[in-house]
Amino acid sequence: MISIVLFLPILFGLISLIVKNRMVNRIALVGTATVYILITVAQWLNIQWYILPNWLISYFQFDSIGIFFFSVMTIVFASVSVYSLFYFKAHNLNANQESIYTIEILLFVTAMTGVILSTHLALLWVFVEATTLTSAILIYFEKKKSSLEAAWKYVFICSIGIALAFVGIILLSIGSRSINSLYFNDLYNRATEINPFWLKVSFAFIFVGLGTKIGIAPIHAWLPDAHSEAPSPVSALLSGTLLNSALLGLIRVQEILIRAHLESFSNFLFLLTGFLSIMVSAVFMLRLKNYKRMLAYSSIENMGIIFIGISLGKFGVFAVMLHILAHSLSKASLFLTSGNILHLYKSKKIDDVNGLLKKDPRTGWLWIASTLAIIGMPPFPVFLSKFLIVKALWLSGMSWLAIPFFIFLIIITFGMGGTVFKMAFGEISSEQPAEQRLGFSAYAPQLVLLFILLIIGINMPQQMLTLLNNAAGFFH
Amino acid sequence: MSNIIIILLGTSMLYVFAASRIEAYVKILALQGTLLFLLVVVDIKEINWLNIAFLIVETLIIKTIVIPYFLLKVIRKNEIGREIEPYISQFYSVLIASAIFMFGFVAAFWAAKTNAGIKPLYFGISIVLIVSSLFLIVNRKRIITHILCYMMLENGIFLLSLSVANEMPMLVNIGVLLDLFVGIFLFVIFFNKIQEMYDGNHIDVLTELKD
Repeated sequence: MISIVLFLPILFGLISLIVKNRMVNRIALVGTATVYILITVAQWLNIQWYILPNWLISYFQFDSIGIFFFSVMTIVFASVSVYSLFYFKAHNLNANQESIYTIEILLFVTAMTGVILSTHLALLWVFVEATTLTSAILIYFEKKKSSLEAAWKYVFICSIGIALAFVGIILLSIGSRSINSLYFNDLYNRATEINPFWLKVSFAFIFVGLGTKIGIAPIHAWLPDAHSEAPSPVSALLSGTLLNSALLGLIRVQEILIRAHLESFSNFLFLLTGFLSIMVSAVFMLRLKNYKRMLAYSSIENMGIIFIGISLGKFGVFAVMLHILAHSLSKASLFLTSGNILHLYKSKKIDDVNGLLKKDPRTGWLWIASTLAIIGMPPFPVFLSKFLIVKALWLSGMSWLAIPFFIFLIIITFGMGGTVFKMAFGEISSEQPAEQRLGFSAYAPQLVLLFILLIIGINMPQQMLTLLNNAAGFFH
Repeated sequence: MSNIIIILLGTSMLYVFAASRIEAYVKILALQGTLLFLLVVVDIKEINWLNIAFLIVETLIIKTIVIPYFLLKVIRKNEIGREIEPYISQFYSVLIASAIFMFGFVAAFWAAKTNAGIKPLYFGISIVLIVSSLFLIVNRKRIITHILCYMMLENGIFLLSLSVANEMPMLVNIGVLLDLFVGIFLFVIFFNKIQEMYDGNHIDVLTELKD
């Protein structure tokens, strides 16, 4: 199973690169997504079979939290692969460009799968770095000046960050000399043997390194640029899955500190940067002129919320998992819809977009519904997860922090909601053509994502609840 | 013997602070690769020939020959001016460099006292390499110097990993090397594009995206 997940996308990618045929590209993208869905379902039903070569088998594994992150990634990836069909058509890509896009997406997804499945800290690092390299070309895909700038900043800032994370890993191996292994299981089981000083120092480095990838303030500089300049389906993948996979790495390292009873140190870092991220996002949200950048800042905000949840330890961990799921799906839906808007108006400026509901009611309503989902209106699950995080603040005796938390969230809701409603309502300017319709694949993925969110929010299926609980049970 | 090599590595970093021409940076990069290669040859008492072969390929072929040659070609092709153009004047740079070295030596002394089992001089100098290349990245305007300093940062990390006796598994080593290689490749591609599109190679030209 794992070998399928890891090698099939590469195989499909190579085929599409060699053949350079439009049909093959589409089959490669949607086919891989289908296989991923099948494997996710098989994992849920606990069907396991391994045909990995022996020397690889100890490096990759589906554990409880891995299955959860893999499921989230699969849902987002499937919706992105369907939406890509619209992207191909709308941008009139030639077969060659389509192939490059396809192989890059597939390699990117493989790299993220590697991050999720790694059972070895240094191997996880390798895959995190690989996600940077594979997604950089995607960010530069539209070959504009601004996208080049974004791609450069992304590659360079993230490479430096990741290099620092590697320093952290080396320092950890100094501290864990008696263990002499970087497998997570060994580190967890013998966490108390690790020298606390080296563990703390190495955590600080890994935190900065992976935090750069997660886009947490104050090291978020690349995130708004990359998210706004990448093609919309790629932005959805970046926000919905890339941030998560780096986050999973950090969660796995945090678990070492929990087992070594040093979590008070790491929790403080999580809490501080979490609040800083919400603050940064609230400050910028009110003065943004570009709606894709607005969504990027919203990602920073949500990562901040997740960090706050992680810092609350066992009180917040279920809420964190729920928030990760809900944020990924809603944000993917928003970014995909923003691709529709970009196609309709040919502009990323908020001021240029008016009367979306008149121009294309479907896009307009999707835009509004997805925004309601991300700012946490009931019955969407973001409401539930934010509520649970505030409850966790209470339970862990830091109820006063709920005040700044709510203030920042209100500012963000106000900024984002105001912008979105301004774009959705109003009259379309006369020189623009009236109502337009885009293809089926421009609406279907978002509809499915919102539908899943509604189901989770209104009546969570038992299967989903088990998945979330299992993932939350990862923390000791 | 290995101590002399490490001191030479440190000195090479000091030279980078004082150097004012970009080609000197590339030469230093190649020199550092050679020194790391010598260090591996002198120091490693490894029995596993596969690991040794890998380390030799990494240091001698990739770090000493391929990447510097590649970067030199880019520099010559793009006819980049020779000056490195720092934000802070050369004099203060060297002053800061001595502070970083002092910090490195303190770290080395401290590492010698703890019984964590690290080689003190390796540890100190690798910290010097890492911190000073980070400083140089912040302090230089030209994009190509950023790539060069990133490579020096990687050399520092390589030295740090040598200071720990724990071996990384082969798979990880290969992954690290591959990432480094693709990273540099990508940097150069984007660098060429920036050169083409912006008609300049200062970091100051990249200011289109902001809030």
